[in-house]
Amino acid sequence: MLINVKNSGHPARPRMKISGWLSATFGIFCLAASVVPHAASAQGAPKLPEACTQLQAKYPSLKGKTLIDAVNPHTPGYEALDPNDPSKYIGFDIDLAETLGACLGFKLTYQPVAFAALLPTLQSGQANIVISDIYATQERAKAADFIKYSKVYDGVLVVKDNPKKITGIDTSMCGATAAENTGYVEVPLIQNLESACKAAGKPIPVIQLYDNNANCIQAILAGRADTYVNDVNTVDQAVKAYPDKLGKAVAVTLPYSVGIAVPKGDVAFRTAILEALTALQKEGIETAMLNKWSLGAGSMEPAALLTE
Amino acid sequence: MELFFHYLRMPYLLQGVEFTLEVTGFGLGGGLILGLALASMQLSHNRLLSAFARGYTVIFRGTPLILQLVFVYDALPHIGIKLIPTIAAGVALALNEAPFIAEILRSGVLGVDRGQIAAGQALGMTPVVLMHRIIAPQAIRTMVPALGNEAISALKNSSLASVISVQELTLRSTQLASSTFDFFSIFFASGLVYLVLTGAFSAVQLIIEVLLDLDRPSPRDRLMRLLPWRQPALSRPAPVFITGQDAAPAAPMGSRAARSAGLADGVATVEVRDLFKRYGNHVVLDGLNFTVRIGEVVALLGPSGSGKSTLLRCINRLETWESGAVRVGGRNLGFSDDGKPLTARAVAHERASVGVGMVFQQFNLFSHLTAQENVAGPLRWVHGMSEAMADRRARELLERVGLSARAHALPRHLSGGQQQRVAIARALAPNPTVLLLDEPTSALDPELVNEVLEVIRRLAVEDGLTMIISTHQLRFAAEVADRVLFLSGGRVIEEGLAHDVLTRPRHPQTARFLRVMGADQVTAIPA
Repeated sequence: MLINVKNSGHPARPRMKISGWLSATFGIFCLAASVVPHAASAQGAPKLPEACTQLQAKYPSLKGKTLIDAVNPHTPGYEALDPNDPSKYIGFDIDLAETLGACLGFKLTYQPVAFAALLPTLQSGQANIVISDIYATQERAKAADFIKYSKVYDGVLVVKDNPKKITGIDTSMCGATAAENTGYVEVPLIQNLESACKAAGKPIPVIQLYDNNANCIQAILAGRADTYVNDVNTVDQAVKAYPDKLGKAVAVTLPYSVGIAVPKGDVAFRTAILEALTALQKEGIETAMLNKWSLGAGSMEPAALLTE
Repeated sequence: MELFFHYLRMPYLLQGVEFTLEVTGFGLGGGLILGLALASMQLSHNRLLSAFARGYTVIFRGTPLILQLVFVYDALPHIGIKLIPTIAAGVALALNEAPFIAEILRSGVLGVDRGQIAAGQALGMTPVVLMHRIIAPQAIRTMVPALGNEAISALKNSSLASVISVQELTLRSTQLASSTFDFFSIFFASGLVYLVLTGAFSAVQLIIEVLLDLDRPSPRDRLMRLLPWRQPALSRPAPVFITGQDAAPAAPMGSRAARSAGLADGVATVEVRDLFKRYGNHVVLDGLNFTVRIGEVVALLGPSGSGKSTLLRCINRLETWESGAVRVGGRNLGFSDDGKPLTARAVAHERASVGVGMVFQQFNLFSHLTAQENVAGPLRWVHGMSEAMADRRARELLERVGLSARAHALPRHLSGGQQQRVAIARALAPNPTVLLLDEPTSALDPELVNEVLEVIRRLAVEDGLTMIISTHQLRFAAEVADRVLFLSGGRVIEEGLAHDVLTRPRHPQTARFLRVMGADQVTAIPA
């Protein structure tokens, strides 16, 4: 729990999802629901690269297994309930997880947790993998190994017409109130403005901590906060839901990558994921998913390991 | 509004209720079991157990449930205990509920009148029987509202299980709100569902309260009330009151003397030797000695605080003492043959087999039982009598004390005098070899004193029952007692035939006491 996990979305980045669904864990739900195109596409999906057959032979222990993927399903586009069939999770990350599973021969169930609980859940063994729009930072690499898969672009959500004239994580935020989720990487970035604000003779920014996107967005709608910095896609979705009340001030590039978190030191597993992801990227499958979820094909980043 | 109804009917949210109820049920059930264990530990006299329970309570009552949830879910796997989310949440909720439920149970148990517990002990009930028949039934009634509260709070607390990914109503609502942006419709719908659930819990609580209400008319009575022509006549035959005037006159002094002479040769039933007891630095019994023989009636007189009640309580081992011995029916009550103290359970069996009945100043009837059950219950639970026999014996005794008509009344619907007569019937039921009466009329209104004294008088005269009575009723003592012991400062300062001590006291303190009390008697005993 001490680790600050973060996620953040950023703009056009690939994360798609396929149909998530969670209740599988409990097996109880058989809900109603209707047609969820994403769900369908998720399962039916992409033709797998040849390499997957070899990878399954190389990592036979994964085959036939059911792994638990911890997600913070409050980020439409990456991972959120399917509004048409709440028994499923959908989004880029879900599609990516399902496709990696199909490539390596494992199935997935999804464990919804608070953002700050993503890595602790992995560390305690309550989950096997975390694919939830979490930024791979050096700090977080102390708690888990990461396989990076996309670049990070943030958006700055503000009240419509940006009355506070916020232009990014800079001195324009001095004296403003920012809503953020506990554990997000944006939190220390905003906190670090303190000295710059003081030097400029302005009040320092105030941070309100919440535990999911919905609460951060509500904080702005309720007039409690002036801004919320998170991945661009999340910000765009919020503006789309409240076009009369919210606006996007600007997009920011953060020096991070989004990564898949796996248990620290499990070399075989992280290598399997890395190789499978590389195979998917080579076939253009990740790019296709980014496009499907309108996340911007340009944000794709070659699979790479981050360990501490 | 349309969205609100859409979400209110959404199977996804309604299925979340299953998890909410599962976690709540697990938490409450487990909390009740753990709470029972904790309360028992705290109520036990074992310091180690009670310190453990105290420590547990401090920790689990003093830390937030949300931390406990995360601990059970994320920390326990590090020591190899990996629970699925629903069970982890149930366990954490149970751990958290336990100290609260334990305190409810403890206050329920401690709230039961101590006098009733003493009465149960005096009747020979073991700790288990006392708990089962006397304490629990009364404690449960008082605990229902608090437990209802706790159940509702557990239901609401189950929403915190959302932090460890239990798919309960709150987690589902927040996830749905994140994906649809319909915050308010969703939260109003789930709020209404919570209201319905807590409303159902409240209804169950109220139903239980009604079912446990001792004053609840039986279904038959309620039906009768609707059928006026079937209503029983309101005027019941008045209970037979035995008045002082009707009583057999006290035996003439001549025959009293002969009776006393005869008793003097009888077998000793109660022997008290060098009895010494103190509370802290205050000495209550200071080397007391006396003997009561079979068939004798002994009155204990003396100012308040002279040790009369303590002495009576020592005789049936409701009190312990520092030194000295009490023998009843030849047995060292409370000690094994080799002089070691017996367990509470063994003392209870001994009281029952030796047969020491006790009547208390405050009656101490079991308030949840009818007059007849007060008498019959102990016969079944302690003496293993069949229900039919116990009921027959109870009816006989209630008739003897003039209360047949009130056999099915609860103690709180009886006057003080009636309650004390029931208490006497209860003490007599197992045929005690000696009956101890601790100021049996002091708590009564003056006009009720005589009905009780008359019952006691008849026990002495007609049954020849051995009795030790502490009393302030001098006239009654003169009529009924064979001997009088005058206690002061924990010692017997004067002892002798009742008539002698009461009319010609030798000790100045006795004389002073008799003068003061004698004046009192004129008003205390109706002419």
